[in-house]
Amino acid sequence: MASSLASLTVVLPGDSISPSALPQPAKKTKPLTLGPGLRHLPPDTIASTIAGALVTDPRKNAAWIEHNSGRYLPTSGDLVIATVNTSGADIFNCLITPHTPYAALPHLAFEGATRKTRPQLPTNSLVYCRIVNAGKDSSPELTCVDPSTGKSEGLGPLKGGMVFPISMGMARRLLAGKKGGVTVLEGLSEKMGFEVAVGRNGALWVDGGSVKVTLAVGRAVQEVDERALGEKGQKKIVERVLRGL
Amino acid sequence: MTLLAVLSHLNRADGSATYTHNGYAIIGAVNGPIEVQRRDEMPEEATVEVNIRLAVGIGSPKERHLESLVHNTLRSIILTRSIPRTLVQITLQVTSLPEEEAASGVDSACTLLPHLLHTALLALLSASIPLSTALTSVVIAVPASASSKAGTTMLSPTAKELLRAKPIRATHVFAFSGNRKLLLSQSMGVFAYDEWGEACEMAEDVCCRDEGGVGLGEDMEVKGGQGNLEEWLRSVVQKKVEMEQRWRVAT
Repeated sequence: MASSLASLTVVLPGDSISPSALPQPAKKTKPLTLGPGLRHLPPDTIASTIAGALVTDPRKNAAWIEHNSGRYLPTSGDLVIATVNTSGADIFNCLITPHTPYAALPHLAFEGATRKTRPQLPTNSLVYCRIVNAGKDSSPELTCVDPSTGKSEGLGPLKGGMVFPISMGMARRLLAGKKGGVTVLEGLSEKMGFEVAVGRNGALWVDGGSVKVTLAVGRAVQEVDERALGEKGQKKIVERVLRGL
Repeated sequence: MTLLAVLSHLNRADGSATYTHNGYAIIGAVNGPIEVQRRDEMPEEATVEVNIRLAVGIGSPKERHLESLVHNTLRSIILTRSIPRTLVQITLQVTSLPEEEAASGVDSACTLLPHLLHTALLALLSASIPLSTALTSVVIAVPASASSKAGTTMLSPTAKELLRAKPIRATHVFAFSGNRKLLLSQSMGVFAYDEWGEACEMAEDVCCRDEGGVGLGEDMEVKGGQGNLEEWLRSVVQKKVEMEQRWRVAT
C-alpha cells in the first residue's frame, strides 16, 4: 500500500529484467516463480512480454508484471463468474469472456449432484466457479466443488442479483482482501445486507434483495474502480450511498 | 515532434489507442485473444488479422498492401505461439490526414505506414497481448535536390515540408525493434545503396535509444529538439502504468 508510484519499474515488451531487479530470496533452494508477463529465455535471461509495472515478492521468490488492461486469460485456480450458454450431454458449455471458446462445466461438478439429481441451468444463467484446468492447448475446465471435500465452499449457481462489469485490476483488489485497499463493501455492509461474488474475469455479482440496494452497491464499487479512490474517497461514497437510501 | 497518444479509451475493445502526429490521426482497436474461424485456425500459432479503414472512401488494393505490410511486421513481434488457435484482430481507422497529403506527390503508403505501425503497437500494448519486443518506426524522404544542398534528407517530414521540397526522389520507411533489429524496410523511388545505408543509420538513431543496455525507465531525459521514439514510447507506457496504479497512492 505504502509504495509510491515513483519506485515502480516500468517495462516495455522485450525488456530484459536485470538480476538486481529480481527478488533475492533468503533460501537459495527456492526456485524463482515467473508470473504473468514474464518469460524465461534460456540460458538466464528474464524478459517481459507486456507493458506494465514489475512487481516482486521476495518471500515467495516470485516476479510478475502488473497490468490492468486487455482480455482476461483463464488461469487455473482463478474464481470466475461464468455464463451458461448451452447444455451438452454431461457438461454445460460456459463463457468466461465473450467470443472465446467454451469452458466446460461438468453436470456433476456441483455440490450434492448425482446422475439423478443434476442441476438444471437454462441459457444465460450465471455460475460462480473455479477454473480447474486452463492450458493454451485446451479449452478451460470449470468446477463448483472442492475436489478434496466435495463441498461447494460458496461456489455454485448465482440466483437473482445482477452482474456489474469491473476492471480486472479491481477484481484482483477485491479478492486480495486487506492488501487491495477496498473498504467500500465493508462500509456499506454496516447498514445494508447484500451478497457479492467477485469473478477474476472482471465481473461483480451483487444481490441486495431489492433492486435499489443491488444497484447502489454495484454502482458504488464501479465508481471506486473508475476513479481509483483511496480509503477517504471510499468513505465519502459510502456516506453518500447510505444517505440516498 | 508532436506525438500524442491516448490509450485504452474505447469501452468495448480489449485494447485501443488513438495516435495523432502532424495532422495524421488514427484510432486503433485490438480484440484478442478471441475465437478464430475454423478456416483461419492454425494449430500452433495465433492468427493476426489487420483491417485498415480510410478516412474517406472504401478500401482499395493500396490498403490491402498496407495491411499486408503491417500484418507481417506485427506477426514477427507478437508471440503467436504462446496463444495458439486464437485470433488477434487489429482494426486501424484513419480519421484524418494532413490537407497537403494528396498534393505532396509522395505515395501515401510510405508516409502513413509508420503511423499505422505506432498505432497498432500502442493498441497491442493496451490489450496486453504478449509481444517479443516493442517497435518504433520512421519515414525518411530524400528530395531530388538533395545533392545540391547539404543535409536535406528529411527525417519524419510533415506533409507541408514534403510539398515544399517537391519533387521527392526517394522515400524510405524503417521499423526497428527494441533491441535495434531492423524489422521493416520499405523504400520507393531512385536511390543508391549507400544512400539507403545512410538513411537506415539515421532512422536507427531516432528509433532506438542511445545506450544499447536497458535502463528500465530510470533515465527519462529527452535529447534536445528531436525526441527519441523509444523514449516517447516509454513515457506513454509510464503514463499508462501510473493511471492503472494510482489507487495505491490515492487517499
